[in-house]
Amino acid sequence: MRIIKLNNQIKKRFIFLLIIFVCFSASIFLISYSLKDQIAYFVEPTDLKNMDGIENKYLRVGGLVKTNSLKFLDGNWIFEVIDQNQNSVNVVFSKTLPNLVEENKGIIVEGKFIDNIFVAEIVLAKHDENYMPQSAIDKLKEEGKWRGN
Amino acid sequence: MFAITPNTLSNFMISLSRYVILLSLVLIGVSIFLIIFLENDYYQGISFKIMFIHVPTAWLSLTIFLVMGVCSIIGLIFKSPTAFTVARSLSPIGLIMSIIVLVTGSIWGNLTWGAYWVWDARLTSMLILAFIYLGHILLLHSFEHFQKADFAASILAIIGLVNLPIVKFSVDWWTTLHQESSVLRIGGPSMTNDYLITLLVSFFGIFMLTIFWFSNIFYIIVEKRKVERSKLLND
Repeated sequence: MRIIKLNNQIKKRFIFLLIIFVCFSASIFLISYSLKDQIAYFVEPTDLKNMDGIENKYLRVGGLVKTNSLKFLDGNWIFEVIDQNQNSVNVVFSKTLPNLVEENKGIIVEGKFIDNIFVAEIVLAKHDENYMPQSAIDKLKEEGKWRGN
Repeated sequence: MFAITPNTLSNFMISLSRYVILLSLVLIGVSIFLIIFLENDYYQGISFKIMFIHVPTAWLSLTIFLVMGVCSIIGLIFKSPTAFTVARSLSPIGLIMSIIVLVTGSIWGNLTWGAYWVWDARLTSMLILAFIYLGHILLLHSFEHFQKADFAASILAIIGLVNLPIVKFSVDWWTTLHQESSVLRIGGPSMTNDYLITLLVSFFGIFMLTIFWFSNIFYIIVEKRKVERSKLLND
């Protein structure tokens, strides 16, 4: 008799916790789902095509620095940020670039569009999740398997 | 968890603790040796080596919270004092781990990204995890009777479990400055084997240190309660 009573209590507590957990996770899911555009840290150049009124709006744009586009002209860095769909944005930046900004590597630029040119105020380098030593790359290059610059 | 009393668990862990700390020191020594002589990353140079502290502590801070959450559930449902005491002794370790993650991460971020801190999804959710650990510790110390404290803190730990998948998958669900997972990901690890082995050795070293630390905190809590109980009986 006592065991049955204990099991009932355990069941009750279990259901109580389950309700707390489910309600809380549902509310977190709804919040993050409705705020997903705000939680995203940057947009890609392709997303900009479908956005209205981007002129003079403070934005973060991320992608790769296009190959052969990084130049230093009249005290400004000029480059193109390109994404997988080959859409690109022209960027001007007047301060010092982070060390890791290279062509064909990830970048995030923060600033505004002025006359269709993105004037960046902050530039951040975005490195990917691949780590390997130079010797491994040399070996891959010898075998002809290396895809990169 | 149901039949084991805090006392037996404490005695068991203390009897093993000298081997655990020995293993941990050996593994940490080997990993420091490996880290020093490891070849630099082709792109990030030497700064990527901070990963061998950052990633193990990040895994541990998530794992510790998972264990804490599961123990809180068991403790609340089955009224198990052992499970509550495990959760109670894990939260300071988790807080220290998440602080190490945030500090090493921002040093690494400054070296590679060019910023100490940004409000992207991964960094923000990790900060929230550290605050939940802090809240858990504060709740445990804000009641006179430890049973009440355990109850309140367990509810917080169970609610905080929702944050774990957000920390882990934030880099996949939203665009972030933080890179994606390198080891626990679909398609296998995205690093060469020498880096992966160093990372695993470093992880197990810090993991063993965590076990040692945990058994000491657990032992202290159990002994303190024994002293308090004997004082009550003598009065």
